[in-house]
Amino acid sequence: MKKLLLLTSAFMLIAFSGWSQKTVTGTVLDDGGLPLPGATVIEKGTSNGVSTDFDGNFSIEVAEDATLEISFIGYTTAEISASADDFNITLAAGNELEEVVITGYTSQLRSEVTGAVTQLDSEALTQLTVPTVDQALQGQVAGLTITTNSGTPGSTSQIRIRGISSITAGNEPLLVIDGAPVINGNVSNSTSSSFMSALSAIDANNIASISVLKDAASTAQYGARGANGVILITTKTGSSGETKFNISSYYGVQNDAIYGPKMLTANQKFELYSEALYNDNTDTFSSISDAGDYILANVSRYRNWEADGRPEANWADVITNQDAPIQEYNFSASGGDDNSTFYASLGYMKQEATVIGSSFDRISGQLNITRKLNDKLTFSSNSSVGVTEQEGILEQSAYFEGPRTAKFFGDPLLRVLNEDGTPNQYGGGVPNPLYITRENINDIKFTRIVTNNSLTYDIMDGLTFGTRLNVDYVIRDRKYYTNTIYGYSVPNGGELSDSHANNVTYVIQNYLDYNWELNDSHSLDFKILQEYQTNRFNGLSASGESFPDAGLFYLDNAGAPVSVGSNYSDWHVGAYLASVHYVGFDGKYVGDLTYRREGNSRFGPDNRWGDFYSIGAAWNLHKEDFLADSDIFDNLKLRASYGKSGNANISLNQYQALLAYDADYAGQGAVYTSTFGNSDLSWETNYSFDVAVDFGMLDGKIAGSLGYYQRDSEDLLLNVPLSLTTGFSSQTRNIGSVRNNGVELEINFNVISSEDFNFSIGGNLATTENEVTTLAKDPNGDTINIQTSRTIIDEGQPIRAWYLPTWAGVNPQTGAEEWYVNGVDGATTTVFNEAEQVLQGGSALPTLTAGLNIHLDYKGFYLDANGFYAGGHKVYEGWHRYLNESAVGFSVGPYQGYETLLTDAWRQPGDVTRNGKLTAGTVPWQRHSKFLYDGDWARLRTLTFGFDFDQSTLAGTGLDGLRLYVRGNNLLTWKKDDNQKWDPEVDLGGETGLETPPTQSFIVGLNLKF
Amino acid sequence: MKKINFKLFSVTSIFALLLITSACATEDLEPTLSQDKSVEGAITKVDNLYGILKGALNRATSSGYWGREMIALNEVRSDNAFSNGNSGRYTTQGEFNYNENSGGIWDNCYGVIALANVIIQQDAASLEGDAALASHYQGAAHFLRALAHFDLVRTYGQQHSGGTLGVPIVTTFKGDDLFPSRSSVSEVKAAIMSDLATAYTMMDTQYDDKEFISKFAAPALASRVAIYFGEYQLAEQNAALVINSGIYSIIPGADFVGSFATKENVNSIFELAYSQTDNLGGNSLGYIYKFAPGGTGYGDVQPMAAVEALYETGDARAGILGYQGDKLTNMGKYPDINGWDNVPVIRYEEIVLNYAEALFRNGNTANATTQLNSLQTARGASTTPATLDNIMLERRKELMFEGFRWDDLMRTGSDIIYHGTLENVLGTLSYPNNKFAYPVPAAELNANSNVTQNDGY
Repeated sequence: MKKLLLLTSAFMLIAFSGWSQKTVTGTVLDDGGLPLPGATVIEKGTSNGVSTDFDGNFSIEVAEDATLEISFIGYTTAEISASADDFNITLAAGNELEEVVITGYTSQLRSEVTGAVTQLDSEALTQLTVPTVDQALQGQVAGLTITTNSGTPGSTSQIRIRGISSITAGNEPLLVIDGAPVINGNVSNSTSSSFMSALSAIDANNIASISVLKDAASTAQYGARGANGVILITTKTGSSGETKFNISSYYGVQNDAIYGPKMLTANQKFELYSEALYNDNTDTFSSISDAGDYILANVSRYRNWEADGRPEANWADVITNQDAPIQEYNFSASGGDDNSTFYASLGYMKQEATVIGSSFDRISGQLNITRKLNDKLTFSSNSSVGVTEQEGILEQSAYFEGPRTAKFFGDPLLRVLNEDGTPNQYGGGVPNPLYITRENINDIKFTRIVTNNSLTYDIMDGLTFGTRLNVDYVIRDRKYYTNTIYGYSVPNGGELSDSHANNVTYVIQNYLDYNWELNDSHSLDFKILQEYQTNRFNGLSASGESFPDAGLFYLDNAGAPVSVGSNYSDWHVGAYLASVHYVGFDGKYVGDLTYRREGNSRFGPDNRWGDFYSIGAAWNLHKEDFLADSDIFDNLKLRASYGKSGNANISLNQYQALLAYDADYAGQGAVYTSTFGNSDLSWETNYSFDVAVDFGMLDGKIAGSLGYYQRDSEDLLLNVPLSLTTGFSSQTRNIGSVRNNGVELEINFNVISSEDFNFSIGGNLATTENEVTTLAKDPNGDTINIQTSRTIIDEGQPIRAWYLPTWAGVNPQTGAEEWYVNGVDGATTTVFNEAEQVLQGGSALPTLTAGLNIHLDYKGFYLDANGFYAGGHKVYEGWHRYLNESAVGFSVGPYQGYETLLTDAWRQPGDVTRNGKLTAGTVPWQRHSKFLYDGDWARLRTLTFGFDFDQSTLAGTGLDGLRLYVRGNNLLTWKKDDNQKWDPEVDLGGETGLETPPTQSFIVGLNLKF
Repeated sequence: MKKINFKLFSVTSIFALLLITSACATEDLEPTLSQDKSVEGAITKVDNLYGILKGALNRATSSGYWGREMIALNEVRSDNAFSNGNSGRYTTQGEFNYNENSGGIWDNCYGVIALANVIIQQDAASLEGDAALASHYQGAAHFLRALAHFDLVRTYGQQHSGGTLGVPIVTTFKGDDLFPSRSSVSEVKAAIMSDLATAYTMMDTQYDDKEFISKFAAPALASRVAIYFGEYQLAEQNAALVINSGIYSIIPGADFVGSFATKENVNSIFELAYSQTDNLGGNSLGYIYKFAPGGTGYGDVQPMAAVEALYETGDARAGILGYQGDKLTNMGKYPDINGWDNVPVIRYEEIVLNYAEALFRNGNTANATTQLNSLQTARGASTTPATLDNIMLERRKELMFEGFRWDDLMRTGSDIIYHGTLENVLGTLSYPNNKFAYPVPAAELNANSNVTQNDGY
C-alpha cells in the first residue's frame, strides 16, 4: 500500500510539474558561523522563495537546473546551483549596497538601484509613539520634511519631498501600500475640528519597511502622480518554519512638548488695564492706582471680579490633561511551511491627548498569507483592518468653544468652579471649557479595510505573469453635538450633525516580467504593466436642532431638522507602463529605462493622457579593476537619472464649466455657476535631474550617499486669480513654473563594532532651494502675483515668500511703535497704513533640514537617540492682534494677553522695550515683521534605553527574546528665536496656531518573542 | 520548442484578454457629474432661468452682502451706531482704518451680476415655457444687475472722495473683456437707470412676489438711485409711479415693530428670504446687533446713545430700541438672533420719503408736507412741515439701522465724527475725504491691472 501511494504521489508530482523538480534543504549561516533566521532563499528568475527558520534551515522545491539566490540584509547575496552537493551556505558580511531595496513595482539590490531611494526598516518606524506612521519619517530621510497639523492623536501631517513644486495643486507624495496606490489625507469633513489622517488606521507594527522614492528614475513607475515623491509601505510577511509569536506593548505618559506663551494672571490683567487707562487719560487720573480704582468701580467685568473676591482662573491648568496616558499592545504570529507563509497580528492602541476632551483609540488587525497553489502559481493576500475612533476638539482656528482657545483667550478674572464644584456657567465670548468638553461631542469613527491580493504565474523560465487586485475601503462617521444647557447652541436648543461617508478605491494591475540572462555577466529585466484605478465617494449628512432635553445625541430627537445632504463623486486613472532594467559586466554598469502612459479623469477628454518617462544609469566603480582591491572603498557607485513625471492633485471637475445646484432660496433649490472651466486643462509636468555618489569605505566603517537634484515643474496647475468682476475668483490653468534644487547627504559611521560593544553615528542633511520662475500674466503683461496680507507668490521668490511691512521697533523717546515707510530703512512712521509691504526674505519652507542618529550597544544594553533640525525659514505668530499688542484693549477686555505685555512695556524715555507704551484701545489686523520670527529649531526626537536578554539567560523559559526599554519622545527642544513662544513645529502655512502642540512622552515598553 | 510556443501563446492571449477587459480608453476615464451639470445644454427651459434667478438672490443673501455687510458697514460708519469690539468685528470699519485687505462687498456684488448676465444673455425665444414669464425673469435680472452696480458705486465710487471713478460695468457673462477698467460714476449711473427702465418694461405684475422681484421694485430702486445722485425730477417720477400703483401702503404704527418679525408685509416691496433652515446663524444681522442669551455672541454694532432721544413719546418706532443689561441695543429690526427673519431691501416708507424729498427739492413744498405728514401720523409722531432738516430727520428715524444713514450723510456733504469701542470720539473726517470711498480689494488689483485703487490706500 505504502509503495503504491508513494509511487502514485511521485507520478502525480511529476505530472503536475512541467519540468522535473527537486526539493533542496539546507542551512544558512552568517559570517560568524551562527544560524541566520529569516534569510531569503529564492529560485532565481522566479517568485518562488522561502525564508530560513529560526535555526537557519530552509526547504524549497525548485527546478532541477535552477539557481538559488540566498540573501539577507547586511550580507552579500550568495548563489548556488540546485544541483550542488552541499547546501550549508555561509553568507559573508556584506556592505550597504547589497541590501535589497524595494523600488516601485520591483525590489532590487542596492548596487543595481539607479534612483534616489531611502529605505527604513521596522525598527526605525516604531521609535515614535504616535498612531500615524508617517511621522516616524521625520529626520530619517534626507530631503523629506514633515510637519504635523496638530498633536491631537490621529492628526494629519504634511509631507514634502524635495521642496514644494506646486502652488495650488497638492504637494503630497503618493502613498503606496504593498504595490497599490491608496488614498491618504484628512478623512474628516470638518475644517474647524481636529483632522484625522487616513493613515491612522494602519498599525506601524505591521510594516516591514518603508521606501521613500525621491527622483524621477524611481518615481517614473508611478509616473503621473510621482512628481512629489512616492512613499512605499510594505507590510510584514511570514517566513516558513515554526510559528513565531511576538508580543510588544508599552505604556507611557505625555505632556505638551512646549508650554506656549505665559498669559496674564487676573491681578496682572488688572494692573495692565490700570496702566493703559492711566496712560490714555493722564489728565483725569492722578496715578495708576487711581485709574485702577475707577476700573473697579465702573467696568462691569472688574467690578464683578472685585465683588467675587478676586478669583483667579488658570485656564491653562483647567484644559491640560496632565500626564495623559498612551498605551499600545500588539500580538503577532508568523510562520509557514514549504508552500505557504502567514503573518497575522492584532493590535490595540489607546491614547489620550494632552488637552481635555480629546482621545484616540484603534483596534487593528493584519493577515498576510502567501501560498504556493502549485509550483507555478503563487497566491498572496495582504489584508488589514483598522477601526479607530477619535474624539477631537475645535482647534483649526480660535473657536470660542475649543479648549485650546480657552488657554490663550480665556478671561482669568472668572471663577472656574462654583462653590459646589460644578463648572461655572458664565456668559461672555469664551465659555467654560470644562463644561463644554464634557457635554459636547466631536467624534469621528473611522474604519479602513485594505486588502491586496495577487496571483503570479511562472509561465516559463524567466517569464512571469502577475495580476493584482487591491481594494481600499474607508468608512467614516462623524458626530458633532453642541449641548442644550450652556454654550453657543443654547438659543437653538442644541445642535447635532451626523454624517456618514464611504470611499472605495479599486486598483487592478496586470503585468508581465521577463528576465533575460544574456550570459553570465549581462542581464535584462523587462516589465510591462497595465493598471486601472477607480475611486468612488458617497457622502450623506444631516443636521437638526432643538432637543427637548439634554443627553440626547441622535437626530430622532431633534425637534427641527435643519439640513440634509448627500453627494457622490468619482475619479479614475488608467495607465500602461513599460520598463527595462539592464545589469551588465558583472554588475558594473546598470541602466534603467521607463515609459508610462497615464490618463486621469480630472482632465478634459482631449487632454487626458500624458507620457512620462525616465532614464537612469549607475556605475559601480568598486567592481572595476582599478578599485577592486581598494582598501579604502568597499563600494562606490555613481548614479544619475533624468525623467518626466506629473502631478494631477487638483479638485475634481475643474476642466468643466459647471452649474451647481446645491444652493437654496426661499425654500426652493437655486442654481449658480461654480467653476469657470478650462477645456485645455492637463497635467502639471516635472522634469527632474538627479546625480549622486553612494559610497562605503573602510570595511563598512563609513557608508553614505551624496547627491544633487534639480526639479523643474512646468505647466503648473495654478488657480490663476481672475478679476472678481467675472463672478469667479480664479480659473485653473496650466501656467507657471517652479524650480527646486538642493544637495542631499546621508552618512553613517560605524565607529566601533565588536562583539560586545557597538557604536555608530549616522545622519542626513538636505538643502532645499525653492523659486517660482514664471507666473501668469494679465493682458497688460503684468505678472499676476498672488498676494495676501502676509505672503506673496512672485517670480524670483520662493513660493509664499514673506511679504510684510517692516517694524522699526519702539521709539525709546516716545514709546510709540514705528514702521519703516519704505520697508527697509530711513524714515519711520507711527501710522501703519503708510508703511510699505516688502519681502522679508525666506518663506515657511525650511531650506536646511538635518537628522542625527546615534546607536550604542553593550552586551545587551542599548541606547538609541534621534534628533532633527530644520532651519532657514520664518514663522509668523498667529492671533497677535488679540493677545500681544501694546494696544491692550482685547487683552484687558474679553480675552487674555501675554505676560510680557506687562513686563516688557515702555514706561519712560530711554526704555528700550519690545512693546510700546500701553494704551487701552485696540488695533485692527496689522501684520508686520515684529511677529515674524526665524523658525530654526531642533529637537531630540527619541531617546531609547533598553536591554535585550540574551539567549542563554532565556533558555528554559520558552522565550526566544525579551526586550525591556524606556523611551522618551521630544525630550528637548531648541528654538533660535526666544521671542517666538509657540511650538516651533509649524505647518507649511507658516503661522503658529492654537492646535495642540506635539507631545513629550515617556514610555516603558516590553517585547516578548516566543 | 512547441511547449514554449504554446505557453507563450496562451500567456499572451490571457494577458491580452485581461488587458482588454480591464484596460481603459479615454471614455473609461470619464468622471461622473452627480451634483453639478455642465453649463452647455443646461439651460433649455424658462424654469431654468428661474433656478439661476434664485441662485442670484441666494448670493445676495450672503453675509458679505445684504445678509450683514451692506447694512452693518454703513450703520457703523454713520452717527447711528458704532462698534463696541465685542468680537473684534467692524472696529476697523467704525474707526475708518480699512485698507485693501479689509473685505467688502465687491466680490459678492459681481457674483450677483454674473448670474444676472447669464439670465439676460439667454435667447428667451428659444426656451420652452411661458414667454411672458421668461420676460419677467429677464426683467428681474436687469433689476438685480442694477441693484448690485448701485451698491458697488455707492461703496467704492469716488463721488464723495473728490474723484470721478466709479466701478467696472459688467454686462456680459464670460465675455470678451475679462479685465475691465473702472467706468466713471456718471457712466455707472446711466447704466443703472437704463437697466431699471428695461426691468420695468419687461416685468409683469402677475408674477409679482415680494421675496422675488416685482414690477414696481424697479421704479422704487430708481427713485433711490435718483435721490442719491441728486436727480430730483427722475426721483419724483419714479416714486410717483410706485405710489400711484396702489399696490403698497404704509404699515400702521401698531404693527411697525412686529412687521420685522413677519414676512411679506403690506409695506414690503422687495425683501430677501431667510428661514429656520436657511439662515446665516452667527453671521446674521441679528447676531451682530444683539448679544445671545447668557451674554455670549457678537453684538458688536451698538446704537449711539444719542439716538434714543430722537424719538418722541408715542412714536411707534421707539419700540425698536431696547436694553440688554446696560447696553442700548437694536432689538426690533432683524429681531431673530440667528437671522431667521427676512431682510427688507426696499420698503414703501422709503419711497414715500423719497417722494417727499423730491417734491420739496422740486419746489412743491405743499405736497411734500402732505407726504411727510402721512408717514408721521402713521407712526404717532407729531407732524412737521417739509424742510430739508425735517425730511432728513424723518428718514433717520424711520430707516434707522437699515443702512441708509451713511448715504444720506454723504449726499448732504456732511463731516463725519468717528468713534472707538467705548463710544469715545476719535476724530472728525471732513467732507470730501478719501476714506469715504472704500478701498478696492487686493485680489482685484492683483488680478486686473486695469482697475486702479482709490486714493490714499
